[in-house]
Amino acid sequence: MTKRSTFIKNKRSHRFLSRFHIESRILLLLGAFVFIAAFFSITEERFLTPRSISSMAFQCPEIGLMALSMAITMIIGGINLSINDTANLSALMAGLFLVKLASPTATADYMSFFIIGIAILIALVTGLLCGVLNGVLVGYIGVPPILATLATLTLYRGISVVVTGGKTLTGFPKQLSVIGHQTVVGIPISFIILVAMGVLMYVIFKYTTFGFKARMLGTNPTAAKFSGINSKSITMKIYILSGTLGAIAGIIVMSRINSVAYEYGTRTYILLTLLISVLGGISPGFGNVIGVLFATFILQILSTGFHMLLLGVRGSSFFKDFSWGVLLIVFLIIDYFMHHRERMV
Amino acid sequence: MKKLVNSREFVLFLILVLVSVAISIKNSSFFSASTLFDIIRSSLVYCIMAFGVLMVLISGNVDISFVAIAAMTSYSTHMLLLKLVYTGDITLYFVIAISMGLLAGLLMGFIITQFNLPIFYVSLGYMTLWYGFNLFFIGATMNFDLPEGMVGYYARFLVKVRDPVVGEAGLHISVIYLVVIAVFIWWLLKYTIFGRGLYAIGGNREVAIRTGYNVKRITYTMLALVGILAAIAGVTQSGYSRSFNPVLFMGKELDVIAAVVIGGASITGGRGTVLGSILGVMLIEVLNRGLIFAGIPAEWQKMVVGLALIIFISIPAIAEQRAKRSRYIAVPKENREE
Amino acid sequence: MILKDRTAEELLSVKNVSKHFAGVIALDDVSFTINRGEIRCLVGENGSGKSTMIKIIAGIYPPDEGDIYINGHYYKRLTPIASIHEGIQVIYQDFSLFPNLTVAENIGINQLISSGKKIINWKDIYKTAKEGLSKVSADIPLDVTMEKLSTADRQIIAIAKVLLEDVKLIIMDEPTTALTQREIQYLFKTINDLKEQGISILFVSHKLNEVKEISDRTLIFRNGKKVLDQETKALDIKTMEYYMTGREIDTSLIAYSKVEKGPPLLKVENLTLSHGFSDVSFELRPKEVLGITGLLGSGRMELAFSLFGEMPADSGKIYIEGKEVFIIRIQDAIKHGIGYVPEDRIGEGLFLEQSIADNIVVRLIDRLASKIGLVKDRAKQDVVEEWIKKLDIKTPSSENPAGSLSGGNQQRLVLSKWLASNLKILILNGPTVGVDVGSKIAIHSLIRDLAKQGMGIILTSDDIPELMWTCNRILLMRRGRIVEEFQREQTNKEELYEHLVANNKHSSTINRVKINSKCKDSRRVR
Repeated sequence: MTKRSTFIKNKRSHRFLSRFHIESRILLLLGAFVFIAAFFSITEERFLTPRSISSMAFQCPEIGLMALSMAITMIIGGINLSINDTANLSALMAGLFLVKLASPTATADYMSFFIIGIAILIALVTGLLCGVLNGVLVGYIGVPPILATLATLTLYRGISVVVTGGKTLTGFPKQLSVIGHQTVVGIPISFIILVAMGVLMYVIFKYTTFGFKARMLGTNPTAAKFSGINSKSITMKIYILSGTLGAIAGIIVMSRINSVAYEYGTRTYILLTLLISVLGGISPGFGNVIGVLFATFILQILSTGFHMLLLGVRGSSFFKDFSWGVLLIVFLIIDYFMHHRERMV
Repeated sequence: MKKLVNSREFVLFLILVLVSVAISIKNSSFFSASTLFDIIRSSLVYCIMAFGVLMVLISGNVDISFVAIAAMTSYSTHMLLLKLVYTGDITLYFVIAISMGLLAGLLMGFIITQFNLPIFYVSLGYMTLWYGFNLFFIGATMNFDLPEGMVGYYARFLVKVRDPVVGEAGLHISVIYLVVIAVFIWWLLKYTIFGRGLYAIGGNREVAIRTGYNVKRITYTMLALVGILAAIAGVTQSGYSRSFNPVLFMGKELDVIAAVVIGGASITGGRGTVLGSILGVMLIEVLNRGLIFAGIPAEWQKMVVGLALIIFISIPAIAEQRAKRSRYIAVPKENREE
Repeated sequence: MILKDRTAEELLSVKNVSKHFAGVIALDDVSFTINRGEIRCLVGENGSGKSTMIKIIAGIYPPDEGDIYINGHYYKRLTPIASIHEGIQVIYQDFSLFPNLTVAENIGINQLISSGKKIINWKDIYKTAKEGLSKVSADIPLDVTMEKLSTADRQIIAIAKVLLEDVKLIIMDEPTTALTQREIQYLFKTINDLKEQGISILFVSHKLNEVKEISDRTLIFRNGKKVLDQETKALDIKTMEYYMTGREIDTSLIAYSKVEKGPPLLKVENLTLSHGFSDVSFELRPKEVLGITGLLGSGRMELAFSLFGEMPADSGKIYIEGKEVFIIRIQDAIKHGIGYVPEDRIGEGLFLEQSIADNIVVRLIDRLASKIGLVKDRAKQDVVEEWIKKLDIKTPSSENPAGSLSGGNQQRLVLSKWLASNLKILILNGPTVGVDVGSKIAIHSLIRDLAKQGMGIILTSDDIPELMWTCNRILLMRRGRIVEEFQREQTNKEELYEHLVANNKHSSTINRVKINSKCKDSRRVR
């Protein structure tokens, strides 16, 4: 056995890089975040104010949760295009319940909270069921995830339309807006939920047996099968988890804007979540979920920053669309250079 | 003959006929020239874009930016020509839009080949980029000021037929575009190095490079064609609707991809035909429209389409699972000990 | 057979070629020649430099030092195109074929591309394809897509493709890895036909019995140096092994495990799988290594899959330690203590991008965790270190990706995954395919040791020497049934081989080869 040729692959620099291979991305994201934040703080004085930070903190949880929902399916080598419609449908189910049973002003507080609690439960169950269907199609029947979730998104959107007759739902008890509007020690509750979910996902994927098996599944489904990993069960659980996260996102949106519509976010959100996942370094078998959180923050500050910078300029909110596209491509190119160097070691 | 009957295209065609018949039984007015022409017209632009999607899928990739290119080219051309107070007809629109589409495609080709990036993610960014570009740099509202020469375009018919319900129904001349483009793409795929190269790359990219296919050039050509086709679709659709929309086709990219996949192209690459794509698009179009005729209220349509999609994709997947079992064991006769 | 004139022209001459990559020497002052119409074998373990040598001859890498002469032309810096123009063609292990395209297109495509034309004339392609197939006298329909064909057919097509070029030297990289014995004989016949036509073959292999059978002269590389360059006639396998590995392997000293008498570990009764095997019954005792052999299509692989739950049987009974069990899914098999080491370690056995450590614990992970499912890092590390040491997996760090290991080490990694969990029965499917001699010996030794410790082992393979080195008992399957049983001590390689390939009535193209096991030089047989 030639010792020399095996060592060529195990040179110290390669070891160093492969050890921190996932972590280096986090550093890069952190750096980008700081850089962009600094840029906006300098060019736009309203950027770093408590009010603006607070507003950003209120806006990012919904997209962040959906990004998490997307990212976990990508880690097992799949994708979930139905997350937006899952979120909407879940929120709609909860909303319908609320509208039928509670009026915006009359009911006593504790009664309201109880009803809201049930509504949230309904939303979560809906999200879970949406996930189950995806899990069955992808995990048990073997439909390619892109197709399966494409079909289910159409179905979920269809159900949403039937259920609402195409109309937007409003008129929820004011206690509902607690989630979307209240803070705890100055930090919005929804933001806390986002970070909590992010950390939970991180722990799951990095430290639990379930997460371990999921990563293996994403890396090589055939070897996973032959190693005794129950791919079907894991796929199902991941999609259920994904659907539930989507439902949470839906609840937060509903709470924040006090209305639910079947078309909310359908034009752009999927894109954003994919963008965030890619930025966050998610790929089959690999991906630090914390990266997804950071990528969410980056996108948020970009969005707010540009909005402020270009306030008054016609169509300024669209500039961020443009910039996101550019950002993704730039990031992919940076990624290329990073890995290219690794390969040459 | 057996090969023909077993082919996916034939099955699709059969399903198309069955669905149409079923709907017509429910509502006989579905079965009329005007419906047919209508469906052809609305399928048309999607078919044109579908050919671009087809080429990308055959090569083993997925691209979703084509919708944005359609929007950008048509809208930008229009705003430009408005500024220049253009009064002619649609031809110049096509010329300018196609050039833009070509450039957009080449640019994407450059980014992909220079940095060896995956097409799906780049197209993601590209799509956001162009819609954003449209909205921010060009304009954020729909525009209805058509130049004089374009005013009658939407009613330019190739063939006119007497129709009991509507009075008169016409087959729009743009169907000629479809036929010409379809034949051209079919020819490209079957008879040129470029076309065969797409199948080769989709089959095994490594081997394609080794065999000597110029993968870079093929990628450029493919994306350039995607851009051109998108531009044609964008201008044509705008002609139909007599308006120019900065977010044209937004959200429709997945529908087109679904149609092409139903038509037989594989997500993993190496497979797909022009006819299959056309049938796939038409099937979805028939489902979308036919449901209204069948008396299913508008709200229910999406849900029905969703259910149909789910059934449609599950069947081949289940069949595949069954087949996998026997394929594993089924060693070609020459090698079995019989 | 009349020997060709040994002073025939030199086709290729490699002089003092050296090559290094980032400080590591891949080739060190290597020189050799290949004559016209000669079959040369290049033998070496992984890392010996043979793949680098091939790439240099094919013009893919330039040598750092040394000269290359082809057809009398001197090349200081050879390019792929120049190499092809000189008539050198390489058949890689994937045959350079497109699975989704037809036979005709696969064969005809090269000519098309080199002609530079943009438009395709399908008539020409079909004509070219027919021509190519006729050169190898193969009877394969032109309209079938590649993926539907067997490996052997694909190889023939790959050769046909190559023959259409004006080829003078064909380099085949481990061509027999996926072939059955019968197909290998057919390949050899084809190679001999090519030799008759004056084409040279450079046959890269580590299967020494094949090298002995087919080649005129043998080259052996070790650690980047050429250590042997001789006429194959004058060599025996032991000598070749010695030069390959640098050590002596005395197979007469193998300590087989002794089978215990007593209740069987595994008992299979009338197991049947449609299109697989039928009415299979046998027993496996503790400490026994049971070999199951048969040609492709005999059902041995299906049987292995069936016992592991990947292809559950339709009917029949399975008993483990006396108790009847039902194996419907892989999880069932694992639950009952059955493990499976695949032949395709990269596709079925390893997670290449993940770390070596993760690959080792993937089966155990549930046991290394606390009740709520959190992985205990310490426990994991202990297990990882234990098995790296036990199986001698060479790597500086367990965090390195599995893909950084060499072939033999990778197979050890796959083994460690199973051994680390408590197994009663281990099924191995062609475990040393594509593995170098050194690792092969180590793995065989390991198999015997495992048996000695009480495990029952089922080894399915068509590598007769391998079966003889490890098994106590060997079952022969044919057409889905077990037809014979051999005790290792009472049989030998030749007898096994004879029974293996016996009774094959087949399509005419393959039937022409008659195998006479007593005759050492099978080249005589036409």
